[in-house]
Amino acid sequence: MTQPDLSLRATALRREVGGLRILDDIYLDVPKGQAVCILGPSGSGKSSLLRALALLDPLADGFVTIDGQAFGRELSRDGIVRRQSQREVDRIRARIGFVFQDFSLWPHLDVRANISLAQRVVLQRPADEIANATDRIMDRLSIAALADKHPGQLSGGQKQRVAVARALVLNPALMLFDEPTSALDPELVGDVLALLVDLKREGMTTLTVTHEMSFARRLADRVIFLERGQIVADGCPQDVIDTPSDPRVKRFFSLF
Amino acid sequence: MRLDPGVITDSWPLFVEGTLVTIQLSVLSFLLGLALAVPVAALSMSRHGVFRGSAMVYLAILRGIPFIALVFIVHYGTAASGARTPAFWSGVIALTLFASAYYSEVIRSTISALPPGQWDSGRVVGMSRLQTLRYIIVPQSLGSMIPPGVNVTIMMIKESSVISAITVGELTYQGLVVQGNTFAPFEVFITIALIYWGITLGVSRLGDRVERRIGRLQKSGRPTGGIAARYLTLTASKPVQ
Repeated sequence: MTQPDLSLRATALRREVGGLRILDDIYLDVPKGQAVCILGPSGSGKSSLLRALALLDPLADGFVTIDGQAFGRELSRDGIVRRQSQREVDRIRARIGFVFQDFSLWPHLDVRANISLAQRVVLQRPADEIANATDRIMDRLSIAALADKHPGQLSGGQKQRVAVARALVLNPALMLFDEPTSALDPELVGDVLALLVDLKREGMTTLTVTHEMSFARRLADRVIFLERGQIVADGCPQDVIDTPSDPRVKRFFSLF
Repeated sequence: MRLDPGVITDSWPLFVEGTLVTIQLSVLSFLLGLALAVPVAALSMSRHGVFRGSAMVYLAILRGIPFIALVFIVHYGTAASGARTPAFWSGVIALTLFASAYYSEVIRSTISALPPGQWDSGRVVGMSRLQTLRYIIVPQSLGSMIPPGVNVTIMMIKESSVISAITVGELTYQGLVVQGNTFAPFEVFITIALIYWGITLGVSRLGDRVERRIGRLQKSGRPTGGIAARYLTLTASKPVQ
């Protein structure tokens, strides 16, 4: 049941915290190379959805498939659910690039070590390959000059580039961005947008949680609107943002 | 008040001997207590309730009883069970248990003070919990473990005086002997106090130096030192140029 043209498939995702449904029966297929923006009021489950796709939080139910590969739990041929070992889950998780809202760089390591650590201990690449890949990604994101700096010495925009480099250098199947603009000065929003558009041009699949409508309009191939843990609208930006049919989506966009 | 320096000068070998025993007790209990604290802290942070619960019981007992009671329980408890533990080793066991409870809390609280995003950031690049702990969490926590760790060490050194109660010839015990011979408690206990103060001051200075060194290493990212320094800054991951 592999779907080679899909980067991501989420099936019946459900997450509950203290009896409250944070994610309620989410189905989502994302083809390779698609740029998806996830919108919705605060508390609607946008960030929870990203975390669920990376299996960072325990799910009450559901399946995630990354690049056609079962992630976390899988169905065997006779229909029995098998829980993957923690080791397998960790391994597949490296296929997902995740950029956190606060970037979560490692403050005790310089930029080069931030980018090379997982190449060494997770992918176990040889040293010369790590050096090459790290140099290449730093050049590409224009952070080569920062190689010896520590995260505490970087601006917000620079931190974000390091966080993107740290994820991208592992050759992920898709990239998840949790509110990439909210920790940055407003004038940097354009830079982030340019970065994401670049990734899209290179064929990277991206899922971005955002509050920036302009961002969604200019980047997204597809917009998903979440409310109370459910997908209530899903389509191209024009349909979802400009001519919404669902009354909840209409109410939300009338505020802007 | 008249002070008689002769009380001290006549008995100085006893004070020296006592100081050495106190240092032995403290160093052994420091090393063993720290070694025991690591698994206790790991249990107290486990995802499994049974492990967390057993660590909580361990801590509640050791922190909830007076140290002198612990010393007697260990010493006479092992004697009652047939093992003839020398008093010195009973003292080491009691002090180790005592220190392990406090050290493990230092480890646990320092680690849980890190932003939870640091754990997540290790997990999303594919690291296991253990790898995240080893490469991300522990190197960041070591520096901030030192000030509270020094506090516990100082407390432990002073508490070791209680071990005199089971006739271990450490500093306080020797002081009591000298006092019994000379009937000069003031001179004796001023001397003892100064020696304890000197030891703890040394420990605290040492702690400051280690803390500064860790901080400097991590800021400069250019360590020159041995394995520990390389671990803290992970220079092994850097290419040779």
